[in-house]
Amino acid sequence: MNQPPKERGKPYPLPVQATRIRFDPKGQNIAVAGIDGIVRILQSPELKLEKELKSHQGWVTALAYLPSGELLSADSWGQFCCWSESQLRWSHTAHQNGIRAIAVSPDGKDCATCSRDGLIRIAKTRTGEKLRERIIGVDLFSITYSPDGQTLAIGDLFGTIRILDQQLKTVREFRQPEFHLLDRIQDVGGIRCLLYSHDGKTLYAAGSQPKTGGFVQGFPRLAALDPLTGAVRWVWKGASESEGFIHDLCLLPNDRIAAVTSGQPGNGKLLIWSPPDANPIFQSTKIPNCHSLDLDPKGQILAMIGTNANSSGNGRVKGKTGEYPANHSPLQLWDIG
Amino acid sequence: MRPSCKPHEHQFSRRAFLGASLGSLALPAVAEQLRKEKRQILFIWLDGGMSQLESWDPKPKTMFGGPFRSIPTSVPGIHISELLPETAKLMKHLAIIRSVSTQDNSHSAGVDRIQRGDPKNRGVVYPYFGSAIAKLIGAGTSGLPPYVWVKPMNGGFIYKDAGFLGPQYGALALGDGKPPENLIRPPEISPDDDNERNELRKLADRRYQAQREKKTVEANSHAFELASQLQKRVSLFDLSKLPQSDQDRYGTHDLGRHLLLARRLIEEGVTFVKVTSYGWDTHGDNFNGHASLVPKFDRPFASLMQDLSDRGLLDQVLVIVISEFGRTLRINGHLGRDHWPEAWSICMGGCGIRKGIAVGKTNELGTDIATEPYDVGHLFHTWFEALGINSEKTNYFNNSQPLPIAHEEMHAVKEVLA
Repeated sequence: MNQPPKERGKPYPLPVQATRIRFDPKGQNIAVAGIDGIVRILQSPELKLEKELKSHQGWVTALAYLPSGELLSADSWGQFCCWSESQLRWSHTAHQNGIRAIAVSPDGKDCATCSRDGLIRIAKTRTGEKLRERIIGVDLFSITYSPDGQTLAIGDLFGTIRILDQQLKTVREFRQPEFHLLDRIQDVGGIRCLLYSHDGKTLYAAGSQPKTGGFVQGFPRLAALDPLTGAVRWVWKGASESEGFIHDLCLLPNDRIAAVTSGQPGNGKLLIWSPPDANPIFQSTKIPNCHSLDLDPKGQILAMIGTNANSSGNGRVKGKTGEYPANHSPLQLWDIG
Repeated sequence: MRPSCKPHEHQFSRRAFLGASLGSLALPAVAEQLRKEKRQILFIWLDGGMSQLESWDPKPKTMFGGPFRSIPTSVPGIHISELLPETAKLMKHLAIIRSVSTQDNSHSAGVDRIQRGDPKNRGVVYPYFGSAIAKLIGAGTSGLPPYVWVKPMNGGFIYKDAGFLGPQYGALALGDGKPPENLIRPPEISPDDDNERNELRKLADRRYQAQREKKTVEANSHAFELASQLQKRVSLFDLSKLPQSDQDRYGTHDLGRHLLLARRLIEEGVTFVKVTSYGWDTHGDNFNGHASLVPKFDRPFASLMQDLSDRGLLDQVLVIVISEFGRTLRINGHLGRDHWPEAWSICMGGCGIRKGIAVGKTNELGTDIATEPYDVGHLFHTWFEALGINSEKTNYFNNSQPLPIAHEEMHAVKEVLA
């Protein structure tokens, strides 16, 4: 990335708010998870709606493509689905409540999910059949396989990162207390995303360093850790408590890393780092309240979703035609060269 | 379902009412009748605004419904949020009003107007509900103050709650559920010395009062009287003496401990106990916020209702769960919900309230009320009626000015009354 990223056309107006966005392994399609329970498949880079996948009841909260091109999706009611050529291949009630994240093993044979119910569940990707599970017992936000597939990293609400082996036994456990705050009776924050570097030697943990509950003010926070010792190599903390959370991370070519943030309505950034420099080399505030991003497999296009401007307001805010408006998610592509 | 008690069974007689109107409700005959019947209130205030969608009026699978499911309750046909599984089991004791529509979408105005019943402007500051009850029912024979507020952070004597009624009807706030600081006489001061000091203080008060506003001295003197009452009951605040199972069921967080203390205060006969939980203003991260907050309400609240039921106290205790407003349907970019007084819900149970009922409806999306809307004036009428106080005919008196105890253009929500 010798040139700064450039927006590729205008944002695509998704009709609902979206939670996750992922490229398929060929880079031809983008899957978008909606709070209406629909997974929308758009052609890339044309951003033409191709299909709508309908099976979920709650919010679609997590997406992951398998190397074979099949798509895993999970929702806030605990339903876990696999789609092949846009047909539902299998569906399981995998958790008692909201699934937070999906991870796929490097060989594509297994997948792991974690949930608000405190459960980690490993399943066969071919059938969705459960292989193993372990109850951690606290709200689990993030999960990822190490590049060698030997371990899983799990992040929870309280800022704890657990490294588990294939049998789901805890190998190591690191506390990152800055990611959690007990404000009055509310537990705020959590390790919202985890990501290994390509070589597996760095584990990135991201979320917020909360300042308050309720309103939830907090500084977005990214910590680069040694996955063997938990030692913190570098940390980036957002400048303002109104910037909120890092909601998603992805790796870019040359070991760079990108993140999106969302905080008080109107606040949100696309950020890019070139580790080990903890200062971002690129920032954009063009899309507010960013919730997810992904890089196409060719490493040339970055896709991100946010929330429309003017998304908040007390009382009966009215839209242009006098209706009570819902918000939606603009989808923006970026050329990263 | 059989209600625990019916309002008409304990309405005032006409004579008692006339007595009240002529001499204000502090008249012994009226207050005595209410005291004899033992009416108490437990008022749970979730400050900032609990989301109706993540609690009493879930709308799963709709545009604004949020990520959570609804679950069945112990009353067929009534569903509430999956975040309230323990409360769902006790729905048979509860009533929900899902058609509350109030006026203020700001905290600064909303908190006051809701707790004062938003009466017509009469040029006076109306009392908070707790102060109103302190006036109307009084302290009873418990030897404890009539209006006790259990809250996080600081405590003290909060006389502003009383409005025009006068400072003696204010709230004794127990900061973090603890008795006021310096309540206990230090051992190095003998009882005689203590009495002597108090007499000196009273003398100073009288001299001060002779030349200045009476209310200030009254408030000061009242605070000392309260302290004197509490000195005899300090053991009340020591929750560690309660069975471990109680502490486990209610939880060790603020709201759990405070609801357990509230149960204890109710058991000891305090007329009005308010418990406040702060931090419900979830403009951001609303769903994770409610996933953390609501269970910490659900478990101790269900334990409290079960305990009151087991002790037969639901016949005499009116329980109310309320905020200053609900939360917007629209989900903002910070994944939060903003302030929404237009169409929200409250929950009640106990004395004078029908059991196992959901009154009023919002439309499919929750954006509007589909039945008769109820403002807080309606709620005040309902609560007074549930307690056996004729809300349409009873007046306060401010000097000689009669003032209705609830908004005179509103009425009780009859469907919810037993």
